[in-house]
Amino acid sequence: MELEKRGVVAPLLVTSTFLPLVEAQAKARRVTPRVIVVPHPVGGLNEGELAERIDAAAGALLPLADEARGDG
Amino acid sequence: MSAGGDSSYDVAVVGAGVAGLSAARAAAEAGLRVIAYDRLSPGGQLVNLTRLHDHPQPGMSTEAWPVVSELVAKAEAAGVEMGFDEVTGVRAGEPVVVSTAGGEITAGAVVVATGLSAGRLGLPGEEELVGRGVSTCAGCDGPLYRGKAVAVVGDDDWTAEEALELAEVAAAVTVLVPGEPRWTAHRAGRLAATDHVEVLTGATVTGLRADGVLSGVVVRTADAERTLPVQGVFPYVGRRGPAGLVEGVPADEVGALRTSDGVRTVAARVFVAGDCGAGATQTVAAAVAGGIAAGEAAAAAVRPAAGPGLRIVDPTAGVEPAGTDAEEHASGTAEWTEVALFSNSKPNATELLRGVGERLQAHWELPELGFASKPNASAAADKDVIDWLSQRYKMVLVAVGD
Repeated sequence: MELEKRGVVAPLLVTSTFLPLVEAQAKARRVTPRVIVVPHPVGGLNEGELAERIDAAAGALLPLADEARGDG
Repeated sequence: MSAGGDSSYDVAVVGAGVAGLSAARAAAEAGLRVIAYDRLSPGGQLVNLTRLHDHPQPGMSTEAWPVVSELVAKAEAAGVEMGFDEVTGVRAGEPVVVSTAGGEITAGAVVVATGLSAGRLGLPGEEELVGRGVSTCAGCDGPLYRGKAVAVVGDDDWTAEEALELAEVAAAVTVLVPGEPRWTAHRAGRLAATDHVEVLTGATVTGLRADGVLSGVVVRTADAERTLPVQGVFPYVGRRGPAGLVEGVPADEVGALRTSDGVRTVAARVFVAGDCGAGATQTVAAAVAGGIAAGEAAAAAVRPAAGPGLRIVDPTAGVEPAGTDAEEHASGTAEWTEVALFSNSKPNATELLRGVGERLQAHWELPELGFASKPNASAAADKDVIDWLSQRYKMVLVAVGD
């Protein structure tokens, strides 16, 4: 979130368990982060399961990134 | 009131957990300028708990996050400023000097509410295995051990609850109790009723077996020593207080700070709240009560200098000063081709990050992606790395979680 405060576009790839942590930190820092939530956990997943998480996260990231760049 | 400079406060609170936020709020509600420091995020120990047991009353339980959110909201509503920095030392005096990784500040009084450190077995190689088999957060890391065998080390109610939470996913849970259990009869009954939970008393962990990741723990009991094949071990022993953080304030054998009454230390303007005080009752209710008492004591200590209670509210309190935000720090020279990944050092989170980054790289036809990582998942990001990323890159994709 410090990066966003410095003007860097910094999407956060957050596993669901850590979303409340991110929300609390964002509130305390008074920033509105760009958040992409993936189901927790990603540790312990096999290759196929990890690929599914990557697909889902990329599906959310790409339009967000395009919009930030002004392509949206 | 404070001198009003950016680095001078009436009260500084070290640690923004339950006790720290309660102390900060109490001092702020007395009309004082208050900052509460935390290394990573407000919430303290609650960050690592999914549910709070025996809260709000014995026998009841509630989700931890709403409690954290409410504490943060009330502290902020009272005017508490949050400081995200690691406090490295406190020097008693008038004013008290607080050293942080980002520099020094002064305060009329300080409340130390750091809590205790994470549990540790104190064995060689243990730190290298944190996140690779050694954990202290069943709520965070439990799913990694689905269908696997784990050990939990400790003797208190927290140990029992973590073991019960792990039992929901793990194939086998062995609770290693160094002496005799101190948990309640109710929890003893729940552990006994869970068929894949075994409790070993008089059990000491003397070694760790690993090959990159944990593969077992060596356990010594009264009559034998054996290797217990487990993929995870969750220690709730060896937690230490902040001994040495405050010059001249003595600590007990586990590093918790000694007080005369649960709040006051030998340093006139340094107070203690929560689990980091010697002999503290480690419950949420006690942390709230201790925090309020410490915050009020700190306010009383600086009150003569603060005036007779007239509160002049600064309408810009809590608002970022102009010029410190995006327009000043923006990575103005970076182009959209400058994109990096910032890992939290969790292995699969890094794989996820790289995978998503590759999709973006292909989508935008980027020649390359930058990469940086934190030293470990539980440490704050290094300031130099943040400086470098913000100056060098237009966009940084950040991994949070595991």
